[in-house]
Amino acid sequence: MSSISQEVALHLNEEYCSSCSICASLCPFEAIKKDPQTGKTTLEIEKCQVCGICYSACPAQALSIGYYDADSLFRYLERARKEYDSDRLLIMCKGVAPDFKLAGELLGISKFIPLSVPCVGRLPEDLFLRTLTKLEVKKIYLLVCEEDFCRFEKGSRITGRKIRALNLLLEQFGYGEEVISLKRYTPKVKADRDKCIKCGNCVFYCPYESAKLVGSEAAKFNLDSCRGCGLCIALCPAMALELENWEGEFISASISRLASQIKEPKILIFRCQWAAFPPLDGEFSENVGIIDLPCAGRVDTLHILEALGKGIKGILIAACPEDECKLKRGSKEARRSVEALKERLGQIGLGERLHFCSVAPRYPQSFNQELERFKVEIERSQG
Amino acid sequence: MIITAQKPLEEILNSLSPYNSILIAGCDGCTQPPRGLKEANILAQLLGLAGKQRGKSFKFKVITVPKQCDSFLAATSLKPEIEGIDAILSLGCGVGVQTITEVLPDLIVLPAQNALFIGGENREEDVLLERCAACGDCLLEYTGGICPIARCAKHLLNGPCGGSQDGKCEVSPDRPCAWQQIIERLSKMGRLDKLEEIKPPRNWNLNLAQRKSQG
Repeated sequence: MSSISQEVALHLNEEYCSSCSICASLCPFEAIKKDPQTGKTTLEIEKCQVCGICYSACPAQALSIGYYDADSLFRYLERARKEYDSDRLLIMCKGVAPDFKLAGELLGISKFIPLSVPCVGRLPEDLFLRTLTKLEVKKIYLLVCEEDFCRFEKGSRITGRKIRALNLLLEQFGYGEEVISLKRYTPKVKADRDKCIKCGNCVFYCPYESAKLVGSEAAKFNLDSCRGCGLCIALCPAMALELENWEGEFISASISRLASQIKEPKILIFRCQWAAFPPLDGEFSENVGIIDLPCAGRVDTLHILEALGKGIKGILIAACPEDECKLKRGSKEARRSVEALKERLGQIGLGERLHFCSVAPRYPQSFNQELERFKVEIERSQG
Repeated sequence: MIITAQKPLEEILNSLSPYNSILIAGCDGCTQPPRGLKEANILAQLLGLAGKQRGKSFKFKVITVPKQCDSFLAATSLKPEIEGIDAILSLGCGVGVQTITEVLPDLIVLPAQNALFIGGENREEDVLLERCAACGDCLLEYTGGICPIARCAKHLLNGPCGGSQDGKCEVSPDRPCAWQQIIERLSKMGRLDKLEEIKPPRNWNLNLAQRKSQG
């Protein structure tokens, strides 16, 4: 399919662009460049990962973004301010956790307006200011990924600087100290070393050399380098590993809940949270359930089978294209595992119930197109 | 390690069909790819799905054994788990299946794997390769660490033969000639003289009969 005619998630409006090239200097993926000859700023959408860092930094508002733009976020906050009846806002990067349970625990708060975004790097300063001044929010908590482990490389670091400047400004205007607080957190592997069988899978597959097997000891993990992709967990044959916040039990419980909630023919999607971003208001389809994972690498053969056992008719795995995996080899290994399982399911006539696809958020329609295609196939196979 | 491949699910299902309550036993020993707790759970799910399609509802219990080939470990791991069990489905190699049969003689023990060979895993190329034929008289000292019994199609002790072409075996263009590899390796290490040593004829009886060794 030609990508030229497809809708894209980031636009550069040349009329507004002053060619200051702030965006080009900040883009972690070299998708925006300043042409040395013409001096013009150009966007190469094929490289864009829709992190939104350029969008939030553009002083001329020449960039428009298809996901989580400031106006949509503000509209959400207006509604949520009433719905949650709280003057505390908690903004969390999706990379931190799949829900707000941990966020509340880490920050010691229980009542707040929740907002989960695919990287905080996309939040412009004026959104914070509008929220504080117009919505009478008294305190904003930010829970973001560790600086060096930001899935979009610079989002966490840039946001840290932004918040420091905003807090100074707000203090000057009498809002008190540190109205916006920022905490960093990246989920890590948890190992039950008593269960380790020393097979070496984690050592081989870890993209960050965090796992080590020395002598006859159980595998050891260096948590300083672990980025929480979940690949070792999905591939551990002894079920000795877990990923914080995305524990097997949590995923199993989500499968059970969705399997009982959604209608026939039931379709479940395991989606890398960087492959497609959910709309702010959540996705709704009567027969589709979605479980967002920290990386396709966390897609677990056992969870897929569990879902089929609970009456799910079709399972779609949505991953980033291999060369765009934010965690190096997650997407590639997920494809391999899914293909191996598909072959085994094929032996009992269920191979068609599982499908793997690669999508990228730069094409907002591609995830939906894959889903629609799969839905049609499953509906047809169910007669 | 013992390289195994899972039997076709259809074959496993047929073998399980007379039984209802089945204990699936993984093995944390040397089977490769690993056939431990996860694989046992995966197999339980797959067989459960297949059973449902056939109108059969199996009851599975899943455990893993540190080493199925160790009679003591097999007995102590499995004995507490067998109440009400009709059959054990073993994810171990043939040794595991036989050891369990010996320690639990009243139970039906069925294999879920075909044991293929003693091999190694080349992780980068994602391939499992036969490396040892358990011949009983290791000659790797003389052959530069490359086994001609396991890796030469004819198990020759004095290769290469006339079927060696451009470093490949005539059996398959994908198969390197083990003797070419041996000679290249020995030359590189300056040890080619190893092959000039006169040796008595090999005792092939060593790997013919069912072998036994003192623990």
